[in-house]
Amino acid sequence: MIALMELKEEGYKKNDHESRSFKLEASHVDVWYGQFHALKNVSMGMTANHVTALIGPSGCGKSTFLRLFNRMNDYIDEFRMEGEIRLDGFKIYGKKIEVEQLRKDVGMVFQKPNPFPKSIFENVAYGLKIQGITNKKFISEKVETALKQSDLWGEVKDNLKKSALALSGGQQQRVCIARTLAVEPSVILMDEPTSSLDPISTARIEELIFQLKEKYTIVIVTHNMQQAGRVSDNTAFFYLGELVEHGKTKQIFTNPKHERTENYISGRFG
Amino acid sequence: MNNRRKNRIADKAFQVWGIACTFIGLVLLVIFIGDILIDGLGRLSWDFITALPSRRPESAGIWTAMMGTAWVLVFTTIISFPLGVAAGIYLEEYAKKSHLANLLEINISNLAGVPSIIYGLLGLEIFVRVMNLGPSVLAGSLTLSLLILPIVIVATRESIKAVPGSIKEASFALGATKWQTIRNQVLPASFGGILTGVILALSRAIGETAPLIVIGALAYVPFAPKSPMDEFSVLPIQIFNWVSRPQQGFITNAAAAIIILLLITLVMNGIAVYFRNRWQKKMKW
Amino acid sequence: MMTHLEKELSKLKQSILEMMDLAKFQLKKSEEAFINSDFKLAKEITRNEKRMNAMELSIDLDCENILALFQPVATDLRFVISMLKINSDLERIGDYADGIADYVLEMDEAISSDAINATEVGKMFHITLSMLTDISTALNDEDTSLARKVYKKDAELNSLNSMASQTIRKFIKKDPDATRSLLFLFSVIRKLERVGDHIKNIAENAVFYIEAEIMKHKKLQKDPNKKEK
Repeated sequence: MIALMELKEEGYKKNDHESRSFKLEASHVDVWYGQFHALKNVSMGMTANHVTALIGPSGCGKSTFLRLFNRMNDYIDEFRMEGEIRLDGFKIYGKKIEVEQLRKDVGMVFQKPNPFPKSIFENVAYGLKIQGITNKKFISEKVETALKQSDLWGEVKDNLKKSALALSGGQQQRVCIARTLAVEPSVILMDEPTSSLDPISTARIEELIFQLKEKYTIVIVTHNMQQAGRVSDNTAFFYLGELVEHGKTKQIFTNPKHERTENYISGRFG
Repeated sequence: MNNRRKNRIADKAFQVWGIACTFIGLVLLVIFIGDILIDGLGRLSWDFITALPSRRPESAGIWTAMMGTAWVLVFTTIISFPLGVAAGIYLEEYAKKSHLANLLEINISNLAGVPSIIYGLLGLEIFVRVMNLGPSVLAGSLTLSLLILPIVIVATRESIKAVPGSIKEASFALGATKWQTIRNQVLPASFGGILTGVILALSRAIGETAPLIVIGALAYVPFAPKSPMDEFSVLPIQIFNWVSRPQQGFITNAAAAIIILLLITLVMNGIAVYFRNRWQKKMKW
Repeated sequence: MMTHLEKELSKLKQSILEMMDLAKFQLKKSEEAFINSDFKLAKEITRNEKRMNAMELSIDLDCENILALFQPVATDLRFVISMLKINSDLERIGDYADGIADYVLEMDEAISSDAINATEVGKMFHITLSMLTDISTALNDEDTSLARKVYKKDAELNSLNSMASQTIRKFIKKDPDATRSLLFLFSVIRKLERVGDHIKNIAENAVFYIEAEIMKHKKLQKDPNKKEK
């Protein structure tokens, strides 16, 4: 978070105090991929230490929106964005921003588990090593803490040198989560983290998310509405690039304000 | 005859045809190797390997040619490996996807198919004459490096492409820079493939005769090279030289030398295959 | 360690037990208010009734949320459905206690203690209160045999109720001036009978969901491999 202090110069000028109460915030965001208008005038804020679920049919822009917060869309050709994205009130798009620093504070877990073809230890330690940390004891401790936090320590502690690729799908995903946690971010973005896993692994990771929200702010994209219901405090429903409705999950699942939301949730389309 | 039977017959016919074709190739290869072995195996001895060339076939040996081959191999590796791999990395990871980049890609693939003698002529003009290196090991190595550079570049690019994008994504998402990602994830993962490509390219290089003749590698060299600026000869040239002599003894010598050359090629390919297998086992995506 | 869903279900059970305590409290106070014609107490009961209504709404909402967010199945589903129904019964019990308090506020003369003794309304209060205690313990401990005891007590309540109606008629004949207060007494007795019915419903619902759990455990012990049909 150190380099984010440098962002103060940039962000402070236009800072309004309301946005500082949100951990993550989007203001009037539009995204284009070439001619394709992927997100249309989206504005929403996400509270710290809450789980926010982004739901909607395929192609509605929820993954695009998620990736705005750690700037992973930057790698896509023809990506263009207008509007503001703020983390702790500071704008994260701008010429002075160090993207690598941002990503240490905002971690990401992907849909298909993607551990590196290295040992479990090396996987979890990677994020620390690229920061230049060399103290072996320090790294070992962080790795152990991260693996404990991601509910994997018990299963792997006797053989951290084993290749991460030799683990089951659910375990691999937990390695990926540990790898993200080791860097001690304050936000974790999850892009359909359980859609390639079996139901039991899925349930384990959902419980994990429920525990993690005490320390982290979590945003999760899911195409499984029931998962959004089980796991999230707030839900945002996207449709064709627009944010249709955003509110407490309880309210959205029992009494949504918009008909489209209701139709999607009850499975009538999408 | 109904369709099902027709299909089955066609199936069987193709199988038979495929086996026959394979057999023809194998049989010819066996005949060739057998012939060489018959001619040359008897001549193989430690003396043969360590002796210098001579006008008398019984005392002629391949020592200088083998040393020349070794020197050229080492220097070609030193030159082509870093150049080729670095170029491959740059082209695959850094060069922007544009029309220019596409053009470059096509041309590099084409370069791999250019006749090797052209490289010889190029090497003669640039390295031997303009840079004044003379017909030295260095000039020969540089020429061969040019020859195999496209192969190394393509092999590097293909190996890098084989690394799943999800690995790079994960690395970026943890805050790694592009170079950190390449150095820590992409290169280690693609290294086996790159190594295999380089070894195969080198094993082709040591069999090259025409370009080295053009730049002036000698047929008759009474000494092994002691510096990169020395004149040299290589095994293929020695073989070529002996085969053109009338004396039967030299033909036998040539056969023996061919066996040695084949062995070297076999060993290098074997090493390449070994590395490729180890690499594939490690990267079970 | 409990899962998220288990935590929610546990909270729901606690809320129901709390509401049950409140219902019992209301009933006990209504007995005191009635026997002693205590106006102040009756007003307190009326105030608490608002709290009971709020609790009912809150528990309803909790059940709705659990169903919407977790889509529980099997035992968990029966549990939530049972709690939903028990919630409704408890609210009715609270209503009846409030109704008795209303009578206390409306009564302008004391009811003859002979009538009170003859109809055994005190015993009826006692029985319903003990039924509530029983069912509360049964729910907390998930004890179906205790739940079933409630049925017998309700039967006793019903018989006391039918006898009471004859007794009241006799008293009215003897002293027609006291008809109004005697009719109040009659209503109170009827209310107590209805309370008993509702407690019986609660017991049925409790057995409904607890038994499914027990049945499953029994079958698991017999043969853990065979799935229950």
